[in-house]
Parts: sequence; structure tokens; C-alpha cells
Amino acid sequence: MALAVVHEVEFAYPGSPRSLGPLSLELEPGEVVALLGPSGSGKSTLLRSLSGLVPHFHGGRFAGRVVVAGLDTRTARPADLAGSVATVFQDPEDQVVMAIVENEVAFGLENLGTRADRIWPRVERALGEVGALHLRGRKTAELSGGELQRVCLASALALEPQLLLLDEPTSQLDPEAARLFLDAVERLGATVVLSEQRVGRALELATRVLYVEDGRLLLDAPTAAARDWLEERRPRWASTTLERASGHPTRGSTRASEPILALSGIEFGYRGGSSVLNGAELSVGRGEIVALSGPNGSGKTTLAKIAAGLLDPDAGAVERTGLAGYLSQDPGRYVVCETALAEVALAVGGDEQRAQATLDRFGLGWAARRHPRDLSSGERERLGIAAVAVAEPDLLVLDEPTRGLDPDRKAELGRWLEQYAAAGDGVLVATHDQELPAHRRIELRAGSTQALQARELPVAV
Amino acid sequence: MSRRPLPPGAAAALLAAAGTAALLADRIVSVAVLAVVLLAVCLRAPAERRGVYLFGALSTGLGVLLLSPFLWSSPDGTVLWEGWTFPVLGPLDVTTTELSEAALNGLRLTALALAFSAYALLLDHDRLVAAAGFARRSALAVALATRLVPSLERDAAGLAAAVRGRGIRLQGARGYATLLSPLVAGSLERATSLAEAMEARGYGRPGATRAPRPAWSRRDRAVLAAAPLVVLGAALWL
Repeated sequence: MALAVVHEVEFAYPGSPRSLGPLSLELEPGEVVALLGPSGSGKSTLLRSLSGLVPHFHGGRFAGRVVVAGLDTRTARPADLAGSVATVFQDPEDQVVMAIVENEVAFGLENLGTRADRIWPRVERALGEVGALHLRGRKTAELSGGELQRVCLASALALEPQLLLLDEPTSQLDPEAARLFLDAVERLGATVVLSEQRVGRALELATRVLYVEDGRLLLDAPTAAARDWLEERRPRWASTTLERASGHPTRGSTRASEPILALSGIEFGYRGGSSVLNGAELSVGRGEIVALSGPNGSGKTTLAKIAAGLLDPDAGAVERTGLAGYLSQDPGRYVVCETALAEVALAVGGDEQRAQATLDRFGLGWAARRHPRDLSSGERERLGIAAVAVAEPDLLVLDEPTRGLDPDRKAELGRWLEQYAAAGDGVLVATHDQELPAHRRIELRAGSTQALQARELPVAV
Repeated sequence: MSRRPLPPGAAAALLAAAGTAALLADRIVSVAVLAVVLLAVCLRAPAERRGVYLFGALSTGLGVLLLSPFLWSSPDGTVLWEGWTFPVLGPLDVTTTELSEAALNGLRLTALALAFSAYALLLDHDRLVAAAGFARRSALAVALATRLVPSLERDAAGLAAAVRGRGIRLQGARGYATLLSPLVAGSLERATSLAEAMEARGYGRPGATRAPRPAWSRRDRAVLAAAPLVVLGAALWL
């Protein structure tokens, strides 16, 4: 008997066109289902329908029927479904309620009325299942994104749900943290629906694949058949080599060109903290894409900010010519204006014509009059890039620009970066992503003083 | 052997009592001592976290000290400075009485803000929520609102960097004020996401239970009982 039945469901958020359906599917116990599709395609809405958050929390127009573990979501509220369904959302910071890890995991159990003497053993077991038992007494505010997301997974698992919904849970994580998270999911043995942009790993985990586009279910098939379908119809989604460093797509060094940025002997330490950079060297020439990589906390963001002129180094020389633009991590969070058009026009003195052209170039022309916060997370990421790129800075500095981007959009970004550089500007990208094209890759690594230095990687030309 | 820290319920009661005592006390020296004690308590928090709280507490007190002599007038005391006479407002001057009253009120407000800072920085809010008994929802709302302060600080820095990264220079208070609206919108968005996550985790469902937690010791109960006495003492003698 199916654990969940979605029958002819259609949904539209308040004041918006239909974002899901009509769509029908059934979920069987023990399945691991990969839910794929472009950003804004309705994946999150489908997951929210399964948890009852659509329509109860969001309002809007809902038609059809969703029944999970015998509960009809038209009458059962999300809190009623909480014992049967658990959700892990995209951003771990936005779902943590308590200050201490073990209390965070216990929160859901207390809400469900779990017998008091069973709460701590279940907390311990859930933390153990995701390899986070050592974090038990830590403050949630002091955890890294990866650690926090594993705590969120433990919080969901502690409820012993029949259905676990994971809504792009690794979009805010670096590859290593994402791998650990998905490894933990693999060990669960529960029914899981995993919406994920890291397609390769999701396909390895899944027994069945759903592909959603424009709110409609285009594919519902076992993984092997789904790979063939994706290969034929959506080739970028089929590649399981997406996350593998099978070779850097290095474009070969450009001829020595006019330098646009030269950093030498850069030293930097945050107030009250230890040294972050010690003698880092970095240069970017016109027409060149330089990728900056390195482990978490290695100082990539710091060096990128120094390159863009947002931070001054403690020591060392910075030589920069022309205008620099900087795109921060998670740019969708930092929107300033009331419409997407105004957001992009901000950097060009309100020139709406130029802003509209840039929105069109990033596939967001349709969203010009929409509020940026009404866009999906992937669309907001692209809006952030458009808002920086519109001024056509001589040096474009991007900090982890591929987080949360689907494979199609990532490929488009890569192509766009190549065009941008080919037009004679320089690009510096701080990224874990080995797929983005680059002429040179610089790795930040610990030097003898334990501070971090830049090292140029050998590349095949 | 080090002593176990106070449970947050007793510590919160003590901090509330100290803040109330500062409001009730009439002697500037008494309020100053309370403020210094609370400042010392706040300094136990990690340096990177306490900065924004201490800045807020001290600047609020300083603001009252500098502005209130001009906004409140007292005929008593010696005139230290005499300015223009404005219609409706009357003569603009600063007297010793106004200055000492401004210092008292500034210190009171500083002490109160420091008591809140100590609550936000040093207390285990989870245990406070657990100890809240029938008022658990209110305690949770206060704890979540308190956690918003560092989030706001992080978001403000992120917004400023995002805008500067587009080549826009933020200048003066007016420039930074433009970030206020997106900052509030961002906080509301965070709050909505959190509310959604809480509902998905069964918050608000009837029949909630509590995970067992260590019982209060005799010393903890004594501290809780002492809190009203601190307030009474301040009302009578400080």
C-alpha cells in the first residue's frame, strides 16, 4: 500500500499563477526518490504539499488530494502530520529553533508528546545516525553550515518519520559537507524524497527519479530508465560526473595580458582572531578567468574581498585597474529593492533599459516587475549575479556563484563567464566547483606558519 | 573545585532584579555601581559577541546624558551654559540639576541595557524556555527574538558588502538608513522560514511533553528568592 498518494494536485501561491500541477504520483515505503528539475519548477511546492505546508502555511489555491500515512492534508495540519512526515529545508540557519544541539533535536519530540524518558535516548540515536553525536552539547550558533544541516537531519530523524522530505538540503554546503550529509541520508533506510541540484550523487542514492518542469511531472521512472531519459532529453542532468573532479575544465592560459589585478605579499587577520592570509600572491589579467579554491575557512572569501577592494589587507600591495564588482555568497539573501528591475538598475544609476537587457541575458526578463523575494532561491542567485554584472566591471569577483544552481544554469553561467572574459575583462571566482571554466586555478593552502598562502595549481594546457 | 553555574531561571530573575533596582534607585552612585557590576558580568561573554551589545548599551546611556539636559528643563541648580531662547521651548540652557538628572537617567538606561545584554549573551535560553512552565510559548518567543540581534548584525554587514560590491558607496547615516527596509524584510523572511520549520516539526500540537532536565538545587532556589529582595532593597535604601 502506498505511503503517500498525490492525486491531481494543482496549486497556486496567493496572487501568483499556477506553480504546480496537475500532478499525480504515489510513494511506496522504503523508496529513495530523487526529485529533479530546474530552479522554480515546483519541486519545493511539491514537497510542501506532501508535508501539508501547502496549502495550510502558505495559503493560495489548492485543488486535488494529498494523503500521507492515511492523513488527508486538506484536513490534517502540518503539525498533525509531523509524526509521519519530516522535512529538512535548504538553509539550516533558518530552521534552527534552540540554542544547544541536543535541545534542537529534542524540540520536535517534545512537540509530538513523546514520553519524557524516551526523549534523550532518541536524541542520542538520531545524532549517532548522522555522525553528529560529538556535537551534542555544542551551541547551534557556533556550528558550520555542514554540521548544522546534519543536526537538522538528526532533528528530522529523531521523529522516526515514515516519509522524509529533503528540500535541496546541500545547496548551502561545500562539496565535502554535502558528501557527508548525503552519506548520512544513504544509511537511513526510510522513505526519502530528495530534491537536489548535485545530480550525480542524488542519482547514485535514488531508486526512482521524478523530473519536474513548469510544475508538471515529466518523468517518473526507476533510476536506470531515468538516466536514459535524462541522457536523451536533459543531457546535463544525466551526467554522473558532474561532481567528480575528472579534470579541471581549464581553458589553457591566455597569453600574458594586461594585468587587471595584482596582489603581492598579502597578510590579513580578523580582529581578535588568528591570521587568515600570510603572504598570498594573486594576479588576474584582462581576458582571464582565475578560479580560487581551497578548504573551508582557508580564506577564499577574504582574499576575494581584498581583490574587490572591500577589505584592506594588513600588509602587502594591491594593484587594481578599473572598476571591480563583487558578488557575495548567498546573494539572494541580500536584495535591496522592491522589484528585480530596480535591483539590477541600482548599480547603473537607475538605467532600466540596461537593467532589462541584463535580466534578459540571465533568463530573468519575465521577472522584471516581480519582488526579488518572490523568486525561487536559484532565480535569486541569478538576480544577484545580474545586479553585479550590469555595471560591466573590469574585474568581476564572484564568491561561490554556483551554489544552488541547477546544471543547466551552471553551464549557462560558465558560458557567460567565458564571454565576459573574452570581451577583455577579468574574472576571479572563489569556488569549490571544478566544473566552472578557468584559465588558471589557484589553491589556498596552509604554509609553514599555519596561515594560508596562495599556490598556483599545475594545469594541462 | 569550580561551582556549577546558576540555572538560567535564577540568573534571569537576578538580572531582572538588578535592572529593576537600577530603575528604582535614586542615588547616582548606587546606579553607577550596579552598571559597573553588570558591565563586569557582560565582559565574561566572548569578545566577538559582546561588542554590539556593549555598544548599544553604552551609546543609549550616552545619548540620554547628552540630549536630556536640552529636552528637560529644571529651574533649580546653577546655570552652566546659556543658549538661545526658542518660542514654545523657552530658553536653552544646561544647569547642574539637569546634568545630574541626565547622568542618573543615562546610567539607569545603561544598567537596564547591560542587564539585557548579560541575559542575551550568557544565559542558556533553551533551559530558560524549559523552565518557563505555563509561559513556555512566551519564553520561546523572547529567546528567538533575542537570537535575532546577532542575525541582524550579520545580515547588515552582508547587505552593506553586497551593495558596495556593486560599486555603490554608502555614505553617512542616510546611506546606511537605506539598508533598514531590506534588513527588516530579510528578518521577516527569516522569521517566516523559521515559523514554517517549527510548524513542520509539530509546534503548537496539543499534548507536548518536556525532556527531563536537572532539578534545581537549594542554592538555585535561594538565588531566585533573593531577586525580589534586591528590588525591595533598591526601592528602600539605594
